[in-house]
Amino acid sequence: MNQPPAAGRIVVDDLTKVFRGDVRAVDRLSFTVEPGSVTGFLGPNGAGKTTTLRMVLGLVRPTGGRATIGGQVYRQLDNPTAAVGAALESSSFHPARSARNHLRILCTVGGLPLGRADAVLDLVGLHDAAKRKVRGYSLGMRQRLALAAAMLGDPRVLVLDEPANGLDPDGIRWLRGLLRHLADQGRTVLVSSHQLNEVQEIADRVVILNRGRLVQSGSLEELTAGSDSVIVRSPNLPGLHAALTGQPIQVEPLDASGIRIRGLSTAQVGHLAFGAGVELYELSTQRFDLEELFFALTSEQPGPEGAPA
Amino acid sequence: MIPLIRGEFLKVRTTQVWFWMLLATIAVSGLLVVAQIAPSDGVRTGGDVPDLFASSSTAYVVVFVLGALGVTTEFRYQTITPTVLQTPNRWTIVTAKMITYAILGALYALVAVAVQLIIAVPWLSSKGVEVDFGNGSVQHAIIGVFAVVALFGIVGLGFGALLRNQIVAVVVGILFLLVIENIFLAIPKVREVWPYTPNGGIQAILHTTGSTHVVDDVHLLSTTGGVIVLLLWAFVPAIVGAAFTMNRDIT
Repeated sequence: MNQPPAAGRIVVDDLTKVFRGDVRAVDRLSFTVEPGSVTGFLGPNGAGKTTTLRMVLGLVRPTGGRATIGGQVYRQLDNPTAAVGAALESSSFHPARSARNHLRILCTVGGLPLGRADAVLDLVGLHDAAKRKVRGYSLGMRQRLALAAAMLGDPRVLVLDEPANGLDPDGIRWLRGLLRHLADQGRTVLVSSHQLNEVQEIADRVVILNRGRLVQSGSLEELTAGSDSVIVRSPNLPGLHAALTGQPIQVEPLDASGIRIRGLSTAQVGHLAFGAGVELYELSTQRFDLEELFFALTSEQPGPEGAPA
Repeated sequence: MIPLIRGEFLKVRTTQVWFWMLLATIAVSGLLVVAQIAPSDGVRTGGDVPDLFASSSTAYVVVFVLGALGVTTEFRYQTITPTVLQTPNRWTIVTAKMITYAILGALYALVAVAVQLIIAVPWLSSKGVEVDFGNGSVQHAIIGVFAVVALFGIVGLGFGALLRNQIVAVVVGILFLLVIENIFLAIPKVREVWPYTPNGGIQAILHTTGSTHVVDDVHLLSTTGGVIVLLLWAFVPAIVGAAFTMNRDIT
């Protein structure tokens, strides 16, 4: 935590927010988001994700602690439009204003050429709808517009709250590519989500939050190390068990004909079974599942709003 | 500050409210001229002309609403989020809006005065009443209209910043300006505070005939006093709004 304040690094330090009525939305939360990576910010609904992002962006005043971007509190940034791009919700638009005009206002205030508005509209695929009033936009189009607004100032840091909401499968694939591209350019990309499979596909690192507290953070590789398992099915399970005796493994029964093995590869299991003459019906690798880890980490106590959405 | 003001003007221009408000201004100003010249006991001498032109100050209601919408629309449609993300300092936002809506008020005043002049000058001259723009009272009335209407852009803005809720700000503001102040005036003792209300300030500024500074037994303030009253109504809510309500968490 004593690293120098790198440009583009987000540091959340002991952040706490207590809302009126003693609701502790965020509780002594600390984590760091590094440039050049996509960081997934995960947690069930009501975990405090949005409140945390709003504190990072200076919209909500922390009760304690602080959040900095490149070493500075958001409110002290010289030109926030060029430093940080944020897409917080898909509804921050005047319904009677066109997408293009919405962005042109942001250009004017942020000191950017008006042409940037058209450039980012092209980038998010809203070129043809640019002059239509936002009132007629679908949720997916509003998400794209919010993303366009975030990228307007070509910022080094992007903070996106549930950007995949309302996107169709094509849109989600597109978003994944875009975020990867932005991170590869050395930008900091912080994306909150409850769509875990999505996050597993795009994130390099994750920060997992539950009931306002940090549950786990780190690179996906670290979190998933050694957690791949091998699924084996055989009509002769006792024979298979005998063949595996003496191996440094964990075995977990799945059903009447199958077991899950941790600690060996499919090739090793296949070799042992072949040597013992045990017939196999299935031999497959089950990749680590973020969802499983997530539920394991967040399900100790049921959250105030029940199951994660 | 200049980019912010240009941005605020673009916000106004890119929705349609300004246009309907402009139509309302033109209609009300035109009707007021007709209502004052057409009747047989209407404007008949040069001495009635200053009060005729002072009536275009009625545009203050329209500009008040515009100002109130200038803040509350941002909260209603949550465009306050991108606004604050670009300009984290609430004082800067409120200051830019105050300047914008004062200029906007002056533009609406210009339209209101122009409509009245276009209708009144030829009509009065056909009735043998000459409009003398060199007359101090006529000048006072026209300058007063600009001052009143421009200041009401800020009054509306301050109400909006203070209350944040669109319906509440507009309804409370209109009720106060058009109904409650008149009730004040009707109640003995209570009417003594009327000169310090927004309408009391307006009357003090626009009062031109000089003979009696009395409305319903209440003595008006001087022109300067009226300006100070309106400045207070403009700045106090805006400052309180910027310091407190605008500074609350935006969730």
